[in-house]
Amino acid sequence: MNRTDRLHALRQDVDALVDTDEGTVLATLPRWDSLAILLVLSHYEHAHKQAVTGAQIRACRTVADLLNLYVA
Amino acid sequence: MHSSLSNLRLAGIAVTTGSVVRDYIADGRAAGIERAVLERNSKTLGLKQRRVATPGVTALDLCADAASRLLNELGVDATSLDALIFVTQTPDHPQPNNASLLHGRLGLSKSAAAYDLSMGCSGWVYGLHQAALLCAHGGAARVLLCAGDTLSRLTNPGDRAIDPIFGDAGSAVLVEKTGRSAPMHFVLGTDGAGAEAIRVAQGGARQPAGDLVEQTDADGNRRHAANLCMNGADVFSFTLREVPTAIATVLRQAGWEAAKTDALVLHQANTFILQSLAKKTGYAEAQVPMGAFERYGNQSSASIPAAIIEGLGGRLEAESLRIVGCGYGVGLSWGAFAGEIGPLTVCPIQSFPR
Repeated sequence: MNRTDRLHALRQDVDALVDTDEGTVLATLPRWDSLAILLVLSHYEHAHKQAVTGAQIRACRTVADLLNLYVA
Repeated sequence: MHSSLSNLRLAGIAVTTGSVVRDYIADGRAAGIERAVLERNSKTLGLKQRRVATPGVTALDLCADAASRLLNELGVDATSLDALIFVTQTPDHPQPNNASLLHGRLGLSKSAAAYDLSMGCSGWVYGLHQAALLCAHGGAARVLLCAGDTLSRLTNPGDRAIDPIFGDAGSAVLVEKTGRSAPMHFVLGTDGAGAEAIRVAQGGARQPAGDLVEQTDADGNRRHAANLCMNGADVFSFTLREVPTAIATVLRQAGWEAAKTDALVLHQANTFILQSLAKKTGYAEAQVPMGAFERYGNQSSASIPAAIIEGLGGRLEAESLRIVGCGYGVGLSWGAFAGEIGPLTVCPIQSFPR
């Protein structure tokens, strides 16, 4: 899965990220909340079999940062 | 820790909930939250209704009601019980323990042992293991296992992340020694390094009850040191990391495959977690009872018995089912079991006071 595909999959699983691009600042999103963080955790777990932590997600500033959590 | 215990059966099960029905959307609207936000949370997490206890009603009262109904339905005299185990983290007092108080209320014999286990959402499985141990090796013929909590009393109404989740309930299960040899398998574990993820800081010996200063976190949730505080992301990560492994281990112990078991009964944390665990453990959602959370909320140590009654009660009255289960939560701790359960007496879930 390339980066574009991963962005598409992330946007499908996390409703707060619909209509965002890599440069979108997470703090500007109205639905970027604790539920959105759970959805990102779940996305990484099920789509990539990868465990990320809440602290890692909270440290992300943009959608690109969320994509950068992916480890090939 | 792994354990397999034989020659015991569950004779009956009962759950009593608090009697106040709280509606997630209505409560949220009253708190000034947008309907769209509430509907999104409700849809994703399964937040619909919960039952909380009326003022003055405690986990002891709820378990006493469940135990009385169960013993009455079974026709079992309380004096015939050899032990009473009470699982709770919301006891009536620091001393004496709830088990002793319930021992007195129900009129158990003075020769009966009565003790508490301070466990939360994993606690019912720990209690079941204790009861099974007493029947298999401890000289007991009948053990009453009660598990319940009133966590709604510990959350701050201003903490919108966790306050709407919890319901209050008490459960009772009678475990009996039998000549039957089918073993019940257990896997118990703890990750104490993660203990801070679910915590009530104030009210114990380390930080006695005192002045309470309410603070607001980065997400706008308010709480003070005597409130339940939970890091949802860390708890979710812990759950996805440990629970599937525990379930796979207990299935191996039993020599079973997931597809050939009748049900996976999980602690009813919320619907999102239940769906995630079903997916990760290879169970079809139809095999995983989830209705108890949407009707009653997260009932802590009483949630597995509530899920058993809600999802499997009718079948269990008539037949034996291969059931796998897992509780997980504060500690952080987990307990999984696999065993053939039923037929047994199932008392309907009722609220108290009625």
